[in-house]
Amino acid sequence: MRELIEHTEGINRLMARYGVKFGIYKGGEFHEQLFPFDAIPRVITHEEFQQLEKGLIQRVDALNLFLNDIYGEKKIIHDGVIPEEFVFISSGYLPQCEGIAPPKNIYSHISGIDLVLGKDGEWYILEDNLRIPSGASYPMIAREICRRVSPVTFGNNSVVDNRNYAVMLKETMDWVNTGGIPVIMTPGRYNAAYFEHSYLAERTGSELATCTDLFVEDNYLYYRDYRGRKQKVGVIYRRISDDYLDPMTFLPESLIGIPNIMDVYRSGNVAIVNAPGNGVADDKGIYYFAPKMIRYYLGQEAILKNAPTYLPFYEEDRKYVLDHLEKLVIKDVAEAGGYGVIFGNELSRERLAQMKKVIEKESRRFIAQEVVDFQDMEVMDGDEKVLRKADLRAFVLSGEKTRVWPGGLTRFSRNADSFVVNSSQGGGFKDTWVLSQWKK
Amino acid sequence: MRKLRFEYSMELKFSSPVSSHYFALRCVPGDSLRQKVRLTECRVSPADYTSALKDGFGNKKLSGCCHAPHDAFGYSVAGTAETNGMIVQKCPLHPMYRYPSKYTQFEPEVVRFAEKIREEWRSESAGTALEKAVCAMHYLHTYFEYSPGTTDIGTTAAGALKLGKGVCQDYAHIMIAVMRYLGVPARYVNGLMIGEGATHAWTEVYTDGGWYGLDPTNDLHIDGYYISLAHGRDYGDCIVDRGIFLGNASQEQKIYVNVEEIKDGRDSCVNGTAGGREADDP
Repeated sequence: MRELIEHTEGINRLMARYGVKFGIYKGGEFHEQLFPFDAIPRVITHEEFQQLEKGLIQRVDALNLFLNDIYGEKKIIHDGVIPEEFVFISSGYLPQCEGIAPPKNIYSHISGIDLVLGKDGEWYILEDNLRIPSGASYPMIAREICRRVSPVTFGNNSVVDNRNYAVMLKETMDWVNTGGIPVIMTPGRYNAAYFEHSYLAERTGSELATCTDLFVEDNYLYYRDYRGRKQKVGVIYRRISDDYLDPMTFLPESLIGIPNIMDVYRSGNVAIVNAPGNGVADDKGIYYFAPKMIRYYLGQEAILKNAPTYLPFYEEDRKYVLDHLEKLVIKDVAEAGGYGVIFGNELSRERLAQMKKVIEKESRRFIAQEVVDFQDMEVMDGDEKVLRKADLRAFVLSGEKTRVWPGGLTRFSRNADSFVVNSSQGGGFKDTWVLSQWKK
Repeated sequence: MRKLRFEYSMELKFSSPVSSHYFALRCVPGDSLRQKVRLTECRVSPADYTSALKDGFGNKKLSGCCHAPHDAFGYSVAGTAETNGMIVQKCPLHPMYRYPSKYTQFEPEVVRFAEKIREEWRSESAGTALEKAVCAMHYLHTYFEYSPGTTDIGTTAAGALKLGKGVCQDYAHIMIAVMRYLGVPARYVNGLMIGEGATHAWTEVYTDGGWYGLDPTNDLHIDGYYISLAHGRDYGDCIVDRGIFLGNASQEQKIYVNVEEIKDGRDSCVNGTAGGREADDP
């Protein structure tokens, strides 16, 4: 381990050279910044990972069943398990997707589930990301470089080799492929995660395409290569949001989408990874209902817990939230990436009163959560070890089977007093070691 | 039951050639409990291909593309329709028609107007959902002024209420917003109407286990003289003619709609007018 820490600077330098960057917009300008890597890994034991794996597979399977149900029969609504307003006012619900059966009935092929480890030793799920969760490429390349920089570390520790993410992703894409080449579609090099798009395309043997390389003809999707030849596309892992995907169906002003791709998809002639319309299942308001979905669809109790969550929509919860606002985290259900998260204890008295009014008026717009007292992680700050908040994004891939990538993206906050670890808010990341059952 | 003959065509002229022109058209009427359609013509040109599909709302949709440069584009649809008027089209309710949508948000203008209609219900002692909807239609028709050119395709229900005048799209949006706010599910319908030289829009409300049509622009129940093209939560879901292209051109659009009744095997033109007007929906 010491070898790795000593090489931190070298690892970061190599990553910079490979272009491991994260783009952010600040004051209307685009900046690329490095995603700082900390060499002290998060370590998860074999037994602990087995438990996590079971819980994550269960959750993602239930979420996929939920999506099939919502865009199909809507049984969970008819049976009164989830109030319909939580589904049909959600901005992630897209009626344009009604009645579509995606290839192999998979909606969420790549799920990024964010968890934290509580001081009580238990993992809590913070949020589900089922649209286009990013971040797998960072620990992928970090592991690759770490193994090169300090092979001895991996000789002495029994860490599960997780350099197979691209293979898992390729298998997932192949499973839903309707007959054609695989493509990873990027909005372009000014996207925050452009490094990841190009890296995953290279690693999965997919074409990296922008909208100008892709077009619809006779209800099929085609890719035009640099020599002008056209090839049918069987699966498109698109890294643009639903709104921009098809200007003929969604936002007409989108210049980065593919006109009429939704027709191709509806006809079953291409698989879109992840499926459009998934936003209805990772809505922060729907999160509250995930344990109920697991019970409803699978007849099981949830293995992984949600952070204690209140829905001001319910009168009883609203009363609790208004009475305890100063100790709760308030999340705007429409926002993502660490935006729209408000900590009650940071609000002035006036802001608290204001917030209460807004919650009373727009109760559907917010969820409130207890601040989970999560375990701090050691991070190197110069030569010194300091403690920082950290979470874990686990990647769950749904193809022929649902599988969890043995690793994940561990993000930590840069500042000692911050709870927000999102990379778009300027945090750093670590490798995540899952230990093998065979000890060295 | 009535038998109608309809012709509907659209011609676009571009000031300079455009290319990579993609389109999605909801200009072909489909069968429903209210209408049985037989097409005699359905033409889109120029087009490299067209495919006939349904959208998420169940509407017929023609989509396609023309890559080569062209300076004109158009479609024409014609046929006959057997229509029933003033009937409830039984079908399960999709819950989305209960909640505000992009054009029908419950903004203060909508809420104020809805409250006036609630009072109206009380004084008229409107009881059933249908009585309430008809009462709302009468009130809206009297209150709102028909005035082409004051609103545009982006105007919301609240925006139109602020102006106090508009066209059929605005009447329909206000009616939908108000009905939903007051607890009656409602949806937007695009279509053709006898005596109109352009496409028309109206409202359907959910009552007695099905959809029932009301035309607030004309203060009429949807009878056998209407042909539906497409429906959705609001205008945005069922745009008749949507297209994008490459090119810097201004466009001139001509729409021709003619609907006439066929009687006793002989044709008799009831109140049919010729089109050739500008694009604005009435």
